[in-house]
Amino acid sequence: MAPFYRNLFLLVLFFSSAIVAGFAQQATDPLVTGNYSNAAFSHFVKDLEAQTKFTFYYDVAVTDSVTIDIQATAQPLSQVLTQALQGTELRFAISDQKQVFITSEKQILTSLPDNFFNNGSRGTETDNTQLAELYLPQLNKKKKTGSEIKLYEIGNAGSNQAKANLAGTIRDSNTGEPIIGAYVYIESPTIGTASDQYGYYSITLPVGRHELKIRGVGLKNSKRQVLLHSDGKLDIEMEEDVRSLKEVLVEAEKDKNVSGLQMGMERLDIRTIKQVPTAFGETDILRVVLTLPGVKSVGEGSTGMNVRGGSTDQNLILLNDAVIYNPSHLFGFFSAFNPDVLKSVELYKSAVPARYGGRLSSVLEVTTREGNKKQFSGAGGIGLLTSRLTLEGPIIKDKTSFLLGGRTTYSDWVLKQLPNKSFKNSEASFYDINAHISHEIDSKNSVYFTGYLSKDRFKLDADTLYRFKNQNASIKWKHNFHNKLYSVVTGTHSHYSYDISNEGNAVNASTLAFGINQSNLQVDLNYFPNEKHTVDFGASSIFYQSSPGSLTPHSPESLIKTDIVQKEKAVESAVYISDRYDISPRLSLSVGLRYSMFNALGPRDVFTYAPGIPKTESSMTDTISYSSGKAIATYHGPEFRLSARYNLTDNSSVKLSYNRLRQYVHMLSNTASMSPTDTWKLSDGNIKPQVGDQVAIGYYRNFRANTIEFSAETYYKWMQDFLDYRSGASIIMNHHIETDVANAEGKAYGLELMVKKATGKLNGWMSYTYSRTLVRVNDPSTSEIINRGEYYPGNYDKPHDFTLISNYRFSQRFSTSLNFTYSTGRPITLPIAKYYDGTTQRILYSDRNQYRIPDYYRVDFAMNIEGNHKMKKLAHSSWTVAVYNLTGRKNPYSIYFKSDKNTIRGYKMSIFGQPIPTVTYNFKF
Amino acid sequence: MKFLNWNKTIGWLMMLLVSSCVEPYSPEVLEGPNSYLVVNGFINTNGPTTVQLIRTQNLKDETPPPAEINAIVQIESEEGENYRLWGTGNGNYTSSNLELNPASKYRLYIRTAIGKEYASEYVTVKRTPAIDEITWEPIDDEVQVYVNTHDPNNDTRYYRWEFEETWHYRAAFGTGLKYVNGKIELRDRNDPDIYNCWTSDNSTTIELGTSIRLTQDVISNYKLTAIPYDSEKIAIKYSILVKQYALTREAYAYWETLKKNTENIGTLFDPLPSQLTGNIKSLSDPNEPVIGYVTASTMQQKRIFIGYEELPREWKTFIPRCSIDTMLLAISTPREYFEGGYVMPVYEVYPPEGGGMFPIGYSYATVDCVDCRTRGTNVKPDFWE
Repeated sequence: MAPFYRNLFLLVLFFSSAIVAGFAQQATDPLVTGNYSNAAFSHFVKDLEAQTKFTFYYDVAVTDSVTIDIQATAQPLSQVLTQALQGTELRFAISDQKQVFITSEKQILTSLPDNFFNNGSRGTETDNTQLAELYLPQLNKKKKTGSEIKLYEIGNAGSNQAKANLAGTIRDSNTGEPIIGAYVYIESPTIGTASDQYGYYSITLPVGRHELKIRGVGLKNSKRQVLLHSDGKLDIEMEEDVRSLKEVLVEAEKDKNVSGLQMGMERLDIRTIKQVPTAFGETDILRVVLTLPGVKSVGEGSTGMNVRGGSTDQNLILLNDAVIYNPSHLFGFFSAFNPDVLKSVELYKSAVPARYGGRLSSVLEVTTREGNKKQFSGAGGIGLLTSRLTLEGPIIKDKTSFLLGGRTTYSDWVLKQLPNKSFKNSEASFYDINAHISHEIDSKNSVYFTGYLSKDRFKLDADTLYRFKNQNASIKWKHNFHNKLYSVVTGTHSHYSYDISNEGNAVNASTLAFGINQSNLQVDLNYFPNEKHTVDFGASSIFYQSSPGSLTPHSPESLIKTDIVQKEKAVESAVYISDRYDISPRLSLSVGLRYSMFNALGPRDVFTYAPGIPKTESSMTDTISYSSGKAIATYHGPEFRLSARYNLTDNSSVKLSYNRLRQYVHMLSNTASMSPTDTWKLSDGNIKPQVGDQVAIGYYRNFRANTIEFSAETYYKWMQDFLDYRSGASIIMNHHIETDVANAEGKAYGLELMVKKATGKLNGWMSYTYSRTLVRVNDPSTSEIINRGEYYPGNYDKPHDFTLISNYRFSQRFSTSLNFTYSTGRPITLPIAKYYDGTTQRILYSDRNQYRIPDYYRVDFAMNIEGNHKMKKLAHSSWTVAVYNLTGRKNPYSIYFKSDKNTIRGYKMSIFGQPIPTVTYNFKF
Repeated sequence: MKFLNWNKTIGWLMMLLVSSCVEPYSPEVLEGPNSYLVVNGFINTNGPTTVQLIRTQNLKDETPPPAEINAIVQIESEEGENYRLWGTGNGNYTSSNLELNPASKYRLYIRTAIGKEYASEYVTVKRTPAIDEITWEPIDDEVQVYVNTHDPNNDTRYYRWEFEETWHYRAAFGTGLKYVNGKIELRDRNDPDIYNCWTSDNSTTIELGTSIRLTQDVISNYKLTAIPYDSEKIAIKYSILVKQYALTREAYAYWETLKKNTENIGTLFDPLPSQLTGNIKSLSDPNEPVIGYVTASTMQQKRIFIGYEELPREWKTFIPRCSIDTMLLAISTPREYFEGGYVMPVYEVYPPEGGGMFPIGYSYATVDCVDCRTRGTNVKPDFWE
């Protein structure tokens, strides 16, 4: 048995080594004739290749000192070679594919697989068994991950290229999942690249022998011995880094901080995210994203994020490339992403790659896992308010896998148990389902399907029912043309809708509904022409269909008039190209251009307004009807993307970026937090698209052998034509929203400092941000003037922000995390005076956002207790015990003033005003 | 048993999680130049117009609102007619009975004593349809009062209501005695009635309604107010006078914003307080805030009465909280007790078992419990049925 496995294993190794596979077991031994005297080895080989049509594979470095003295007349090739190589360290093997492998005895490993194969076909010079026994113990230790000491020969020897391309997919050896962002590099000269979202890497190296090192978050560092002749493939499997008592050897994306070209980007791995305690004990990616420098939210219980002074609708939130319009559940207390199906989250705050567009402030790319390609497994968690379960496994081993995750809450049931009457009449429930299938058709083609559904339902008073849902589907086809060029064709569909039903009074019983659909087709191509350039280009087109609102009677007695705001349609298209150019090892440049175009389409009736005065109902002049498919308004413009990096030293660099983004859809919300009743509006003749520009510059430095990363980034941002609201704006069921909004211009600037320690017993990050966001509404010809046309702080302007996320691992089974967050209170409009309006005292408010609410700070603590680490048991489980808001600070969520009788009282409402303990049980099988 | 405990635990945790906590909050005193002109009132196109000019105050200022006196106030039409309003004290200015042209547009012009000029925009005249009905219903331990109206021309669409509540109430203890110069005397018919009183209260909330989303211009059962079952208002007889004003869309928006700013803020999804821009501007300094929104309309009103006998029988209506005590002449004199006027005699206390003809003391209660005039008037309103 043992030899069988041994042989099988070697076979696997051999195939993965990318030397041309498939040796038939029949061989011919052609006769050769020649007269060589002190001939160069390469000359000798060329001559033989010419005579035999056999291809020779050899290492130039090993053979260049060898000279050949031999005379042969119609002798078999094997005999000639035996003679020729006598006295040298070289050995040879001949395959049935008319290939001859010349190897050096010193590097016996090279010849081992060769000889193994030849062993089955013909006599060889080397004793396989002996060699195998010598090396197998080490190989077994490495399990299936591929050998770190084996030499992989890539490509055909004899091509005279100075450089060659190596590409492949990096996967997890346990699950077969591709690994994103693993860093693949050689040390001299320093050439490196990172795997993309498909785990694909492509690196151009000088031909010859290299030690290829591979590192990734949560993975054991690995390396491959590579002998590169010409372009070839090398798929790499890496082992997960099992939590160990010793210093963890993870050096996540080692010096990406310094040497990566991308700036203003944060990648969070699900492992990191899981360590951060949250209010309900449920891993919440959006809440972790909110701890990153430059990301803020208006308040607790709101997952709407404000990135570098942008509003909550300026974030492109993608789940496997499909846009998510509402990323939260239950008023934003939970994020809409099930942590168990997620792989990673990437947030781009600046230098947004050209392939993304359509939102002004950021791109948040959420990627789900592909599912385990090797074996069936599952994971789940039971928390106080929610439970979740994820199943995954292969459909066809190593080729097709599925991933299915679901999450639901029993808060509805809990509410019913409460003695309080108003809670009993309330309902709150949600669920979400993720499904993912990935299939590898062949080595060049893969397809991925993703489906996502999330639904919420809650009833606050006894008579108003809110419901909302996200539905997403995406299909992706990845095709490798060759090592240097691959394409991804993506089709996605996103749907978001909500409805609010009022059932209290029969006369007013009604349903208010909103919905938006977007279908997106996108082609992205990645081209790696040589080691200095990486070119991305592609095109995309989005078709929007929105039903901005409908109000329909809900009972026969209802007097509600059916009212439907006209549907809106539009197409947003873009083409882009970007080139990353590594000018020298120290200087890299990425230049990109995206050209986007937006067409608002009929059928629709559009109001026109008298020019030069604010758009109001009284300034309406005409109504123009557009027929179906006719363009109502067209906007287009270039979006420039530029970034550059200069390495000051080996462990420090400076980066610079500029980008422009255009946004054609706008969220309408007159409330401070992101609420499910916000609607989305497409640009049209009366609502212009938003345009934003950002310049950022950063300094990056790594300390202590790249274990501590430091970064300082500063930015300045301009925004035009984003929407602010006129006083008393009415958003819902408004047939002419342009009369209630104001075109605002904004500027934001800030400095973000971050120190991150990704490894070690103690890990985490610490960040400080100083930032300002200022808004101005000062165009009397389009709307009313706010604050006399001066700049005023935006709703989410919080100048000082400090965050500490720390994690300390006491033992393999016990770790703790402690988080601390501080930020300046957000701006508020305060009452400055009181007056009588005849009978009642009323209040007069200050200028918009003139004052601030008290500062915010919060301490969270969590303990994670793992079950034992026996390899073989039914399920691996862990307990998370966490306390949110440990000090019980009553952070204001909202401050408001009410006039009650003849007095005016100020109130401060805090939602998580006491320490909140939670317990979650997680399992994995 | 164990299961029940578990439920309680979860319930308790849930409460902890979802129960938000509201605390009083008072920011640092906001000092500033905040004495802005406030204009209250509307242009009555069919009757006398009364406008009140006062000034805003600092939030912590406890003095009565400063009135703007000696100003020149007039109603001006676009055609150039003007009608003077005359100061009647307290910042109030009243015109004579006017009959304004509903097809014209009017504005309010103000020139203060120090010579600052203010004017509203010219506003169109809205005709207010009559109130159809004021109805009420006892629901959930309270009396809910509704207004119903409609405009057959479907022309009004926006409404605002004010109301004045008046109710009859009695002192907790009726007395036949009075204290005069150190003596207790019997009350006679020349003494004022201190047992039956009436008092009034103006609405303090902004009541707005619109039929804009309905196929007809109908306001059906708009809830104006609710009176708890144990309120003194409905202990004997209650009356409500509802005043109805038609609004323009812009005026409606103004009142709605004012309502949002001061009444509706504080839950999770409420809008931010927004600036209030009225339709009155300073002619001398365009950046000077002026508070108020001038509309021009007719006014419609209707009154109803609710007697306690119409309320559900099971309701235990208002019971005054008053205690009664006794003073004995053997220990003290009436002067010592009643001279200060804080307490009043209620009835005589005689010795037990016919021990004598003369009172040995008096029961007494605080003046609030005996003299109803401390909280209202004993003059029966003219309209009282």
